[in-house]
Amino acid sequence: MTKNKANEKIVANSTAEYFAKNLQQVGFSSPIKAVLTTVKEAMDNALDACEEHGILPNIRVDIKKLGLGSLKNTDRISIKVLDNGPGIEEKYVPMVFGQYLASSKFGQGRPSRGQQGIGISAATTWALQTSAIGAKVTTKRENERKALRCVVVTDLKKNEGILKDKEKINWENPHGTEVEFIIDGKIQMNGEGGLLTYLRGTILLNPHMTLTYHLTEMEPVTVERVIDEVPEIPKATPPHPHTMKLGEFLSYARLFSSHKNAEWLCKGFSRVSPNIAATLFKNSGLPKTLLDKKVNTLTSDQLKKLFQTIQDSEFQAPSTKSVMSLGEKALSLSVMRLGKVDYFSVVTRKPAICDFKPVQVEVAIARLFEKKSDGEDSSVQILRFANRVPLQFDKASCAIVKSISSVNWKSYSIKQTKGNLPSGPYIIAVSVVSPFLKFKNASKETIDATDELVTEIRKALMKAGQSLSRHIKKEAKTQELENKIKHIEKFGPVLVNTLCRILGASEAKKKKAEEGIEKILGRDNLKTRQQLDEVEERLNVHLASRKDQFDSFIKEDEELQARQEALLRAEEEILGTRYNDDETSSKKEFSRKKKSSKKNKSRL
Amino acid sequence: MVKYGIKDQKSIEKIAMGLCDTILTDLTQGKRPRLQATKSSLDNAIYSPTLGYLTPGPKKTITELNVASVKKMSRAIFVLDILLKNIKTGAVNTKRELYYICKGLLKQNPELKPLDFEDQPESDGIIDFLCEIIECYREELNCYANDRGGQTYSKCLIVTETLPNGKKAKIDLSKLGTSPFTPKNRPQNLALTASKKIEFCLVVESEGTANTLVSNGMTERYDCIVVGAQGVPSNSVRAWVKRIQEQVDVPIYFFGDLDAYTLQNIFRTLKAGSAASIIRNADFSAPEVRFLGVLPEDVKKYDLFSYDVKSNDPSEMRSLKKAQDALENDPFFKSQRNRPLAKILEWLIENKKRCEQQAFFSVDANDPLALEKILIKKIREGSYI
Ligand SMILES: Nc1ncnc2c1ncn2[C@@H]1O[C@H](COP(=O)(O)OP(=O)(O)OP(=O)(O)O)[C@@H](O)[C@H]1O
Ligand SMILES: [Mg+2]
Repeated sequence: MTKNKANEKIVANSTAEYFAKNLQQVGFSSPIKAVLTTVKEAMDNALDACEEHGILPNIRVDIKKLGLGSLKNTDRISIKVLDNGPGIEEKYVPMVFGQYLASSKFGQGRPSRGQQGIGISAATTWALQTSAIGAKVTTKRENERKALRCVVVTDLKKNEGILKDKEKINWENPHGTEVEFIIDGKIQMNGEGGLLTYLRGTILLNPHMTLTYHLTEMEPVTVERVIDEVPEIPKATPPHPHTMKLGEFLSYARLFSSHKNAEWLCKGFSRVSPNIAATLFKNSGLPKTLLDKKVNTLTSDQLKKLFQTIQDSEFQAPSTKSVMSLGEKALSLSVMRLGKVDYFSVVTRKPAICDFKPVQVEVAIARLFEKKSDGEDSSVQILRFANRVPLQFDKASCAIVKSISSVNWKSYSIKQTKGNLPSGPYIIAVSVVSPFLKFKNASKETIDATDELVTEIRKALMKAGQSLSRHIKKEAKTQELENKIKHIEKFGPVLVNTLCRILGASEAKKKKAEEGIEKILGRDNLKTRQQLDEVEERLNVHLASRKDQFDSFIKEDEELQARQEALLRAEEEILGTRYNDDETSSKKEFSRKKKSSKKNKSRL
Repeated sequence: MVKYGIKDQKSIEKIAMGLCDTILTDLTQGKRPRLQATKSSLDNAIYSPTLGYLTPGPKKTITELNVASVKKMSRAIFVLDILLKNIKTGAVNTKRELYYICKGLLKQNPELKPLDFEDQPESDGIIDFLCEIIECYREELNCYANDRGGQTYSKCLIVTETLPNGKKAKIDLSKLGTSPFTPKNRPQNLALTASKKIEFCLVVESEGTANTLVSNGMTERYDCIVVGAQGVPSNSVRAWVKRIQEQVDVPIYFFGDLDAYTLQNIFRTLKAGSAASIIRNADFSAPEVRFLGVLPEDVKKYDLFSYDVKSNDPSEMRSLKKAQDALENDPFFKSQRNRPLAKILEWLIENKKRCEQQAFFSVDANDPLALEKILIKKIREGSYI
């Protein structure tokens, strides 16, 4: 993307200062959130960096209380995140940690965790504001002998990162990055804004990650990876023409202002070929010659006309190639890492189109052992994910929560009062992946609950509920049979003893009666055990058939993939070029976010 | 047809021991013990006009030892143990007392813990179950309910009670003033004699009304017996009225409300016994009792205040359904012998009315003796069924 030199300075200045004053908008609105957001931003970056470089991530999180914080009711906390990612080139270090809107992920339309180049810089600002200490960074790239250690601070006026206390050190890690923030905050482990809740979610959705976490006085915990493949992050797809509202459309045009109109329409949107672009212009009453003029030559009236024509035209449905999933197998393996999981079910939906956006939904439901006794009546634990990032606040109006409440869980033997969240010792995890996911508010904690999306999530939940209920029913049956056996063993001897006491029967007779009752009730017992075995057998058969299903599902998936690829190749041939292969988006290159001032306003 | 007479306690003990022995022997032989009991329900009730009370049909309930019944059987034998000891020592207990006795014993012996009773209905159920399989009365197992009702007033009746120690106690009811004599627990131990010829015995549904009649001098003016039933007659009231029927040569009349509940649950139980006590109705029914009223014809004749059964009141509608039910399923009302009583039920269904016994007080509101006069008139004129 090209930079707009003229505007750069002004915007950059206001940008850093703006964020510094409005940290609450990007996750630093309370001491608890500050801790969580700092961990989250650093971990997201580490995971993103590893993923992009095909590295299996080993991540270590260390959180320590250092003393009292300067803010009321806070602690001074050290948060350290270490990864085995590619490391960061020295010249980029100040940009990464100290400058706002510096990101390698602006390629829009990819489900990477980071998107905007705000996250980690905000953490630096919070650290500077509360402890006056910048981000302590240690980083090393594969071919480097020594690691760079330094402190990054932000010059808010210039929106610039500054390196301090720079030194080259010997580092035991072949490559990777470690960042430490000293901040004022408050540690909360469980519940909505809980650290463990966040870590649990991150563990679930990253089966390829090995994570060690050492939280305050707790013993360090290591959760090993369960798959050895780095998930493939789909390449970006430009948005479908029908996904935009007028305002968004106008901003989008501004983003492409220096491109030719034909180029903007064809590359900026999916499913628009040069022919279609020409037709759109024609139908909007715009002269054909304008197609080769730059976007910024269009008047806003012309843009509005074009927008209207787009609304009235039909396009091929968007491609679903830009979404991704973990798959049921990986998810199954990962679920087992959530704690003492009794049993679980996972569902990966095929990619679908909701509101003209490709979406893929995955659901995992797990029942935990540990909470069995006391957990029956409390609400289930919900883990929400948008593009693999755990969402932890403002859950009430989120599409995921709405979908969960709308399912009739009772029919899967899970407790629920109608229209509410179900209850019991369950974890319900829902992941929604979509390159153009829409959020309800700026803090990106609530997925917009459109009807189509809610329906799609519901379908996944219902399927998962169904297969889970088989376990629950089987368990109830087993329990019942076991109770029967216990029952017999409890009452048999009492009956014989009392009879013998009344009759004054001899020991010999008593012994014989005991044997007799054992035989009689043992027959029942045997029958019970047989029934139990039968149930077990049926379940095994069922599981085996599921395995077949599972395999055929994989096969189906592969076939689908192949078909889609063929389609894409054909498409490429027609269009000539492929947006995705655009050099800039696949190369590691830092660019400043396009900074037309208006664009920034609309973003903020 | 078996005629169930009162068993003496020795035979109860024998039956019980025999039962235990059968179970134990079955067990030693690896056979499933089966406990048989008479099915106590209306569908197993037979009404014989000659006997005059409900007797059991051929249906049996069988409890076989299996996973489902092992708890109930263990509990039954445990409780039987206690009851047998009571019989041996002559100790008596109420159901509630027995419940606590069980709790106490279960507490002492951890091995018995699984038998523990949650609440009294559980132990009551076991006692009833034992009565069914031994085919005896609870009282024969020395388990007495604190039976209500049966308050009796008369100036011509003398009761002789045989006490457990063999001594006899004589109660002359004429010496009691307006206080009633109340038969307790085992009216079977009471012998009745009349000091002079008694004209009638009146059993009144409402004990309050019975007391009013006596306070106003009815027993002074007439050679009669007045008994308060206090609602559905308890075992002791039933056995007591039966005693009066057997030992005093006197016509007995029942006076109560005009509705299905009184007719079936109170009057029929008094006259012919109940389905629940089907094996012991011989001792707990007085087939010669007549229904003095309130009769449908009284409502008309005396222009009594009556209530329309409100069709929007579920409990009142239920009483109509009850009448219908009694006509269809109660062998007592189905019998040709009791056709006139069945007709009252039909009248109730048809007219959707009910009338209370106290309604007679509205006839001549200024005369405190109005009810007495009407009752005497009805008895003397034969206005009863
Ligand atoms: N641990 C790391 N290893 C390698 N590169 C990193 C690491 N952390 C950050 N980066 C690089 O720094 C850039 C800026 O990170 P930053 O968190 O500010 O933005 P982002 O992740 O792109 O977007 P967001 O604001 O949504 O987090 C990233 O795009 C990434 O290229
Ligand atoms: Mg980031």
